[in-house]
Amino acid sequence: MEAVEVEEVTRVFEPRRRGSTRVVALDSVSLTIPTGEIHGLLGPNGAGKTTLVKILSTVLLPTSGRARVLGHDVVDETQAVRPLIGIVFGGERGLYWRLTGRQNLEYWGALYKLSSRQTKARARELLERVGLADKADQRVEEYSRGMKQRLHLARGLMGDGRVLFLDEPTTGMDPLAAREFRTLIGELRGEGRTILLATHDMAEAEAVCDRVTLIDRGKIIATESPRTLGHLLTRFQRIDVEGAPEAVLEEIRTMDGVTNVAAVDGAGVRIEVDAEGVTQLVLERLVAAGVTSVRTGLPSLEEVYVQLIGERGMEL
Amino acid sequence: MHGYLAGLKLEARLIRAQPDSLIPLVTAPLFTIIFLAIVRESGRYDLQPDALMAPVLIALWWVALQHAGQIITHDRWQALLESIVAAPTSLASLLFGRVTTVMCLGLVSFLEVWAIGAVFFDVSLRFEHPLELVLILVCTAFATAGASLAFAALFVMTRNAYTFTNSAGFPLYLLSGVFVPVAVLPGWIHPVSSAIFMSWSADLLRASVRPAPIDQFWGRLGMVVLLGVISFVIGRFVLIYVLRRMRMTGELATA
Repeated sequence: MEAVEVEEVTRVFEPRRRGSTRVVALDSVSLTIPTGEIHGLLGPNGAGKTTLVKILSTVLLPTSGRARVLGHDVVDETQAVRPLIGIVFGGERGLYWRLTGRQNLEYWGALYKLSSRQTKARARELLERVGLADKADQRVEEYSRGMKQRLHLARGLMGDGRVLFLDEPTTGMDPLAAREFRTLIGELRGEGRTILLATHDMAEAEAVCDRVTLIDRGKIIATESPRTLGHLLTRFQRIDVEGAPEAVLEEIRTMDGVTNVAAVDGAGVRIEVDAEGVTQLVLERLVAAGVTSVRTGLPSLEEVYVQLIGERGMEL
Repeated sequence: MHGYLAGLKLEARLIRAQPDSLIPLVTAPLFTIIFLAIVRESGRYDLQPDALMAPVLIALWWVALQHAGQIITHDRWQALLESIVAAPTSLASLLFGRVTTVMCLGLVSFLEVWAIGAVFFDVSLRFEHPLELVLILVCTAFATAGASLAFAALFVMTRNAYTFTNSAGFPLYLLSGVFVPVAVLPGWIHPVSSAIFMSWSADLLRASVRPAPIDQFWGRLGMVVLLGVISFVIGRFVLIYVLRRMRMTGELATA
């Protein structure tokens, strides 16, 4: 059984006040996530990531189309879906600030119908797991942003959901905490959970996801493994070179298909191309000029993302 | 039941963490002093029990409007509502649990008022009909919880519920006859008042601290319960409607 099935889902927000406009947040989106997969949903702000997560979490109705979680329809079978999912929405809000971290988790445990003993044990285990055990009895209002985010994560795991929807879960985390988060995701994968991770952090998606869906303006652009997405864009290959004579670089700069020749990190130069076969021509010219320090590479997911989505990606 | 108990416990913890929730316990003694001073100054010592009952009813209205009525709105503004709705527990049972705690808080004012009257004014309530008094208080709290559920569901649809709650308090006190019995108000107000459970509760409470037998006790108490149940049913339906609408419009969370 697929963990998540999305079929032609469209979500339109109609204008509610004078002056506001109709927004198509999702436009015939289809997506399938097999059980046990960690799936990244990558896109700029306003791409439709959160809208899709909300529909799958049963808190937003699609305008048309169908979505199922572990075989249950998110519109007609909400009572079957809700015990199966865990949600982490990003941002600092979403917690009772006047209560302690432990009290917040105990409340959410009760909402997931855990017994008092189960709730206390699970809260203790999760606080330990997200590194908040020593701050468990401190009020949330005294937590840093990163600590709140970790508590959000623990809260999303209280119900022991088989499918987890994480919407920008590392917002506000410091690099160390973000790295620990990735380790935690790996552990969750080991437990057989399915995770949909909505993010605009390319490095995060590349590090933890089995597959990534690129989404922009409500439409899916591509769904592939991070590596395959890179291969898709081999035409955007880059060539890092050291010690190339300036005259040769100038010649390469004028070649068809070469989009950029720029110095990087002081000594080296990066040559970027945007057409098939151009890499070979550039390499031949460099070798002919006696340049031996040459390295070619596939673009990172970030570069793929920027190339596919274009300048809008820079609005992040 | 999980949702109800979770709500009960959560609200108790929130009240303990937020002392401003205890405002009605501060104002009830002040209202007691005001009302007792008025009736004594006018030589109406027979109205002293009425002056002691009024602050209790005002406290219940206050917690229903200002506290319980804002529960969903507050959770929505704090971006909690989406996660709560996405949990397996029913929002209505959770809300009922929270409102129950708030009503218990409101009922504490009864003990407070009784103590203030006895200690500072040497007026002690005579519990002429103790069983009836307990039943009236419990049924009044139940009906107030029903009204709170309806308020909570309705207020979340408005852009600024505070304006309503701030301005609706005193008209409701008047229509409920919390201090001035509805019988002395103009006749055209009576049908409106009789649709408000608190007007029945107020009359019953006053009667319960007087020696005379309470006239038509069960029938009048039944009206309190009936109006409370009607409020619950309305609140439940409004809640279902509001949640459905918010899931359609995407307004479960505020930006």
